[in-house]
Amino acid sequence: MDNIAGKKSGLTWAVHISVAALVLLWIFPTLGLLVSSFRTTDQIRSSGWWAALFPAVQNEVFRTADPGEFRVERDGVFVVEGNLYVVAGRADTDGDVAAVVQAWGTSSRAIGAYAPGETADLGDGETMTVEANGDYVWTGSDDQLSGRGQRVFVTAESPPEFTFDNYQTVLFDPGNREGMAKAFFNTLTVTIPATIIPILIAAFAAYALAWMEFPGRALLVAGVVALLVVPLQLALIPLLTLHNDIGIGKGYLGVWLAHTGFGLPLAIYLLRNYMVGLPREIIECAKVDGATDFQIFVKIILPLSFPALASFAIFQFLWTWNDLLVAMVFLIDSSGETTVMTRQIVELLGTRGGDWEILATSAFVSIAVPLVVFFAMQRYLVRGLLAGSVK
Amino acid sequence: MKHTLYASAAALALSAGGALADAHMPFAEGEGAFNWDSYAAFAESAPDLSGQTVTVSGPWLSPEADRFDILLNYFEAATGAEASYTGSDSFEQQIVIDVEAGSAPNIAVFPQPGLAAVLAGQGQLTPLGDDMAAWVAENYAAGSSWVDLGTYANASGEDEFYGFFFNVNLKSLVWYVPENFEDAGYEIPTTMEELIALTEQIAADGETPWCIGLGSGAATGWPATDWVEDIMLRTQPPEVYDGWTTNEIPFNDPRVVNAIEIFGSFARNDDYVMGGAGTVATTDFRDSPSGLFASPPGCYMHRQASFIPAFFPDGTVVGQDADFFYFPSFEGEDLGNPVLGGGTLMAVTDPSDATMAFMQFLQTPFAHEIMMAQGGFLTPHSGVNLEAYASAVEAGQGEILLGATTFRFDGSDLMPAGVGAGSFWTGMVDYVGGADAQAVADAIQASWDALN
Repeated sequence: MDNIAGKKSGLTWAVHISVAALVLLWIFPTLGLLVSSFRTTDQIRSSGWWAALFPAVQNEVFRTADPGEFRVERDGVFVVEGNLYVVAGRADTDGDVAAVVQAWGTSSRAIGAYAPGETADLGDGETMTVEANGDYVWTGSDDQLSGRGQRVFVTAESPPEFTFDNYQTVLFDPGNREGMAKAFFNTLTVTIPATIIPILIAAFAAYALAWMEFPGRALLVAGVVALLVVPLQLALIPLLTLHNDIGIGKGYLGVWLAHTGFGLPLAIYLLRNYMVGLPREIIECAKVDGATDFQIFVKIILPLSFPALASFAIFQFLWTWNDLLVAMVFLIDSSGETTVMTRQIVELLGTRGGDWEILATSAFVSIAVPLVVFFAMQRYLVRGLLAGSVK
Repeated sequence: MKHTLYASAAALALSAGGALADAHMPFAEGEGAFNWDSYAAFAESAPDLSGQTVTVSGPWLSPEADRFDILLNYFEAATGAEASYTGSDSFEQQIVIDVEAGSAPNIAVFPQPGLAAVLAGQGQLTPLGDDMAAWVAENYAAGSSWVDLGTYANASGEDEFYGFFFNVNLKSLVWYVPENFEDAGYEIPTTMEELIALTEQIAADGETPWCIGLGSGAATGWPATDWVEDIMLRTQPPEVYDGWTTNEIPFNDPRVVNAIEIFGSFARNDDYVMGGAGTVATTDFRDSPSGLFASPPGCYMHRQASFIPAFFPDGTVVGQDADFFYFPSFEGEDLGNPVLGGGTLMAVTDPSDATMAFMQFLQTPFAHEIMMAQGGFLTPHSGVNLEAYASAVEAGQGEILLGATTFRFDGSDLMPAGVGAGSFWTGMVDYVGGADAQAVADAIQASWDALN
């Protein structure tokens, strides 16, 4: 008995480890994205997201306040005083500074020349003192304290720093607020009909292909399966030409039709396989009782197929929500009125695509709705995923 | 609409009796360094276009798109037409789909001439006419080269003028941090010989002279093509450069290989490049300037086009925290001061009265100045007021553009896409990875032969 129990636990361990590995594989990039969405561009460029979680010793460049405005004359010498972190806008008052200066310097060639509290001689009586909390005193003659503020190179241990600015930019920035809100409603306008229409059509078709006898039925099913492997990119230009020729042009109707067409093969295939698995006896009983095909479909098949319908709805919703390609081709015209979330996010990335923090933030903003849909319907998803596979 | 009203109200309150300016038209009439006369003259001569629309599509996204929207607002105010701009990061694919399917915008903004030439050859573009070509030749610095770049064969093989250049960038620039140069006592080099000497000196001081990054997603390698083109212009006469871009001079010609090797003398020396030569191909070009601003400095110089300040750390004051000098020419070669650049061009994809009026509008100095004042825009238009540039740095770049003895367009954009946006890029990545220059050039030439 011990042996058997031991074997069993060994297998369980293997399962647990592989599950944990898979979960980590998924969680890690998502976590990185989440952390990055709270960091600034400069932070993202200078260190990895994992470094953001712990205090780090960093070399930074600060500048003292502008002598033209802030210098005061004391006993014949000019003095500029202040706090480096306050001048840089990183703290409100010098009491707030959380960083601890370990070394500092005034030349890019000797960035750690002085310890905090030491006074550096910059030549000809010009001096500079920097304390551990970033307070500085810079003294010199009229000539020496002019122009721009003195650069100060600081080596300091700083606590982790996070910002909500990215979310502010994506959601509330006056430059794109209208755009984001409009894009959100446009996306819903695309997504909801593009989810409902294919389900309606596919449910009818699936019933016919599963339970109605007519010649060529098997061929039709084979045709639908064959359509699954046709890449939709093939159809983009011919379809758009067709839309233009028959007067639909670029617009919501066009994008609904396109999403419906591209979604139908999978929808029909999935629903048909599910419906074929329903017990034949129920349908035969209904027929014996005199029910028409339509009555059987509405009263029996549809309620029984709910898990499959729901799971396809989730698939189609996610796919249309995340879609950029089809929207770009069939919806977004040069008027700029019709834009969708995915497209809006791409625009936020900027012309040369360097704004990673915006990308990370937008990703989290845009997955909010699909997450709600998923959690609302996820109990159907698992049931529906098995649709047709277990008979 | 609401925030516009608020902004207008705020502007009204601020300007207190001055001319009205709002977020849509931030420059009040009669103020600033603008040529308002040219705007007024255009508004007067333009027909009433109320009810007509002009749609423009292009590769600009935020912030360029917002700036262009402001230009469109002034056009709307002058003519009554509705004008809108949409940007796309995959513009080059999008425009082909739209044109093929017959739902093209009125005007397309092409990031480089190659694709415009292809569409012109298919008869999808509308020629702008000889008048416009003559205007460009006369009013743009090095005007005839801009006309040539916008002239393509139409469907029946005849050359016509299609592309109007609007927004140019300058590639022959080296960026540096003046205070770092001051700390180390380095002087700005004025000849290539001095630049090479400075590079050696910085390395001898135990520092790293250059930041070079070629990474750019699917386009990895393009920054190196700019290096090679700049060096070609500094080692060979412009005719050789032109022959090279059309393949009259093969890619594996010793003169081209020489240029590649000069680039290699910078990029393949571990002592000359931040992170060592091995990191050149993998460093993203957007991240590569950050070494200039690191503490201690990761590098002292960065050769990149005029747009790169967009990727400098937040708060960097260009002109003070960072500045540029002209990528100098060899004193020993006597080839003048060649300038390498690139630019976006406008072409009409769906003509209408309002569209043609808009193209007329772009010829006014005002249309250029309004873009210059918002930054990130350079123009070779010789009739503009340089004071309109948003910063002294951009004014300096504008001056380089106007004073160029030789202007040549980015060669990789002139080559067929399979080479200029394909094997040239990948070849450069191979080269910095350690491949032999001759072998790389041979492979690129072979890919060019395979296209023909």
